[in-house]
Amino acid sequence: MVRVIVNGKEVHVPEGETILTALKKAGDAVPTLCFFGHMYREASCRMCLVELSNGKLVPACAYPVSDGLEVRTDTPRVREARRTVVEFILSIHRIRCWSCPRKGGNCELLKLATAYWVEGIPVCSSCPLYGRDCLVVKGEPCLGPITLAGCSDPCPSNGSPCIGCRGPVTRKDVLEAAAQFYVSNGVELRDVLEVASMFWEGLPNYDSLKASLEEAFKKALGGGED
Amino acid sequence: MAQLLKLIPRETTPGALAHDVAAKYGRERRYLIRMLQEIQSTYGYLPQEALRVIANELRIPLTEVLTVATFYHQFRLEKPGEFIIMLCMGTACHLRGNAANYEFLRTYLGIKPGRSTTSDGVFSVEKARCFGCCSLAPVVMVVSRDGSYRKLYGGVTPAKLRRIIAEHRAKLAKKR
Amino acid sequence: MGDDGSWNLMSRCCGKCWHSLEYPCRNYIRCRTEGPLCHDDQRCRTLRSERVRYIKEGPNGYRIKVPLASCSIAAGAKEVLDAVKEVVESLGIPSDAVKTVGCTGLCYLDPWLELKAPGMPAALYGNVKPAEVEGILKKYFIENDVSGAYAISERTGKARGEGDVPTLSELDVWRLQVRYVSRNCGVVNPESIEDYIAYGGYRGLDRALRMSPEEVIEEVKKSGLRGRGGAGFPTWLKWRICRNQPSKEKYVIVNADEGDPGAFMNRLLAESDPHRVLEGLIIAGYAVGATKGFIFVRAEKPLMAERLQKAVEEARKHGILGKNILGRGFDFDVEVILSAGAFVCGEETALIAAIEGRATPRQRPPYPAVVGLWGKPTVINNVETLAHVATLMAEGWESFAAYGTERSKGTKMFCVTGAVKRTGAYEVPIGTTLRTLVEKIAGGVKEGRKLKAVQIGGPSGGCVPAHLLDTPIDYESLRDAGAIMGSGGIVVMDDTACMVDVARYFTSFIVAESCGKCFPCRIGTKILYDTLTKITEGKGTLEDLEILESVGRVVRDASLCALGGTAPNPVLSTLRHFRDEYLAHIIDKKCPAGVCTKLLKYRINPDKCVGCGTCAKHCPAGAISKDEKSGKYVIDQEKCVKCGTCVTICPVNAVVKEV
Repeated sequence: MVRVIVNGKEVHVPEGETILTALKKAGDAVPTLCFFGHMYREASCRMCLVELSNGKLVPACAYPVSDGLEVRTDTPRVREARRTVVEFILSIHRIRCWSCPRKGGNCELLKLATAYWVEGIPVCSSCPLYGRDCLVVKGEPCLGPITLAGCSDPCPSNGSPCIGCRGPVTRKDVLEAAAQFYVSNGVELRDVLEVASMFWEGLPNYDSLKASLEEAFKKALGGGED
Repeated sequence: MAQLLKLIPRETTPGALAHDVAAKYGRERRYLIRMLQEIQSTYGYLPQEALRVIANELRIPLTEVLTVATFYHQFRLEKPGEFIIMLCMGTACHLRGNAANYEFLRTYLGIKPGRSTTSDGVFSVEKARCFGCCSLAPVVMVVSRDGSYRKLYGGVTPAKLRRIIAEHRAKLAKKR
Repeated sequence: MGDDGSWNLMSRCCGKCWHSLEYPCRNYIRCRTEGPLCHDDQRCRTLRSERVRYIKEGPNGYRIKVPLASCSIAAGAKEVLDAVKEVVESLGIPSDAVKTVGCTGLCYLDPWLELKAPGMPAALYGNVKPAEVEGILKKYFIENDVSGAYAISERTGKARGEGDVPTLSELDVWRLQVRYVSRNCGVVNPESIEDYIAYGGYRGLDRALRMSPEEVIEEVKKSGLRGRGGAGFPTWLKWRICRNQPSKEKYVIVNADEGDPGAFMNRLLAESDPHRVLEGLIIAGYAVGATKGFIFVRAEKPLMAERLQKAVEEARKHGILGKNILGRGFDFDVEVILSAGAFVCGEETALIAAIEGRATPRQRPPYPAVVGLWGKPTVINNVETLAHVATLMAEGWESFAAYGTERSKGTKMFCVTGAVKRTGAYEVPIGTTLRTLVEKIAGGVKEGRKLKAVQIGGPSGGCVPAHLLDTPIDYESLRDAGAIMGSGGIVVMDDTACMVDVARYFTSFIVAESCGKCFPCRIGTKILYDTLTKITEGKGTLEDLEILESVGRVVRDASLCALGGTAPNPVLSTLRHFRDEYLAHIIDKKCPAGVCTKLLKYRINPDKCVGCGTCAKHCPAGAISKDEKSGKYVIDQEKCVKCGTCVTICPVNAVVKEV
């Protein structure tokens, strides 16, 4: 057994184990994405980074413990690194939450994005209305596809459309895909903007957002392929 | 080295060659890179068929073979031209104008975006890693498809590239 | 007997010599040059000493050296060699006076010739053309005239024109160097083990095998040698860790997969003196208790691979590799492995993975010295490190520790390229200032140009601006200046280089070389590259600078291996030292150095244009056409690919580049 200090708390773990085991024992969870027990522990995603006393950031899932190892899980550097990694992942993620099979609370990225304040994922990701139950599919101007997630979706859960109270997603590719989705279900820009103006008109970036939406709809109506 | 790069008779098909090469190295996964090197030394590139046979012989997924084949610069998946013009992209060559030379060559030979070979299959233009001849920067190497002929040119300018192209066109015409 | 059946140093002197591969003589190496040691015979002694003299001085004191390394071959050394061979006998010089050697590192002289006749000073001729060979040889050997030489070895007062030619030791480029590990480069024939032994080769191995492995490690520890691959990890420590592992099987690998653009000292060493590298590898194998060594060499550098392979075969033939080496009961063999070329293989775990047939690094620890190739403890050393090991084992640690600074001992080879007058590979003591290396040894930038920055360490390194040129070159000082030692590639940039473009160039290299295993490196470097591209195209905003900094920081901290960990260095160091250039691109939409093509324009001055049409004929994009009204030519900015052909080709200099 070796002694590991996690955030100032001492825990004892068997030699040869990783920091992750020590963290679990100490009750300090760190997010993991690529780690999968004994099947995958190659430390690719770098979400489980922790800071050692020598200032190095190391992945908890693959770094072996040693006696007297001091680990901190919540320093500004760790937070910045994790947040940026989530940004990296989202930056190459094709966000199409409305048609994603993980929709409805199963999305790891949604959890990380809300925990680290990275914008990009819309409400649809947690919405429990699938397939034909989807309000947009029914032709309603639900703002789910273009509103920031994180509210645990009380409105769509109760059958009423999202009104965008958490603010808009501004990523261009998401807006374009959303416009495509609206258009294919016969929802018009005018209706979307009418709902959107309720909460978003006061935003400093509303004009540019409106312009982007208009452009996205125009592209979608022009028969652009998704 | 000598036995590694020995040319295998050209009559064999890529698949048959891949089969032989795999057998030669005992179908061991760790010799994958050497198998691919051997196939490329015969054909100048890695034919699809050979890759499939290798994957089969080693009992590994084709994607794994492709991972290795696409990762290393040495390997080519597309059939190159008779002559491959390799522009050194080392720091010294970059600073002394090989980036502009590259653009010039592509435009001059009329190579379409996304391709690296001319439509008549005579020239391929590639960016290469540092040759280590930095004193001659910018450097261009012309290699024949089978690698038997290679010539290096230093201090390359667009005007010199024209001459190099003309020289090799003449060489090809003579061969035919 | 030698390959051609004639007697050479490797052959036995008489029937009394009992050495054989099965029962090797412990004094085999020393006996070759000082021998015979097992019996006393004046005839045998003379045979050996005469042969050593023949190798060192040539037949009757005549010697013509021609360098055959990839760089000099590219510059035309083979043609020069042919020309020499053609005329040599007609001048009355024995044909075996012609000797092919490696490269001295004075690349700006390629291809060169070194001539020596009895009584004359050796003379070095630079940039020799095949057509000039006969003239040079005649002048030197027949007229005893050295004028026209680049340098001579000494003043003897016997040759004509000596006064006008400097001696090598008078030249900065030679005087300020310390030829420690590169001593044999340009001296021995790299394809001959006999040559290497005549010049004192394999003495280090001989000495090491007389010590215990612990003593060898202790010797290296005392010398203070640190890894020459870049990170500067103490070599002895790596060996000690590996030696202390209980595993029976251990491996040593020499990393000759040089991929750093602008660095070629490993290639030069291995091409010019391959046995020294091999000797270092065997010593390393002995010290850590390994049974097998690997030479991991890039297939794209065929000559280097060929010469190392030949060195291994020759050493095996003479019992320097194999079972019971030199009768000391040490078994060791070496295999040459051709790498397919990936920069990430500079990372030890990736190199191991490449030998195993995969290609990605893994999280450390455990370090390769504990869990390495096929799970066995493995030591990986750089070519230069091992060459140093061989040298310092032969000469004792004091000879090595005499050079360098308190914390970094010894000498290091640097390749100085780019905008300098004398491109080449130079060996200097660690702690020499950048200014000495760049301005004195390499001759500084060309007339009329201004030195702007020095890039050290390749894609993992950083840019040191001109005002920090007095920084001594050692691991710590360079790190403080925002660069790293790296493998030792130094690219000098004058005011025609755009620092944003340089940062973009290095980042594009990393994007192409990233193995893609971890997110920060795979995605982060792409974001850096896209942002830099945006700036060089004049579409950048001030916000982009913040993005570069924050993304760069995270890529550095969070990446899995050293490739990602050092990838943002070129960006971060240029941002730190050359922020004004970034601002010029972003705010003024101008590239001050006139490099970024999207920000510059080619224009034909109608007042100067004579309407000859040369430019239109040579434009690859067909962007130049005649304006029928004025009869002058104009460039269509839409079609222009900015290659600059028209500027160089215009007979009246009417084409101007507008920054």
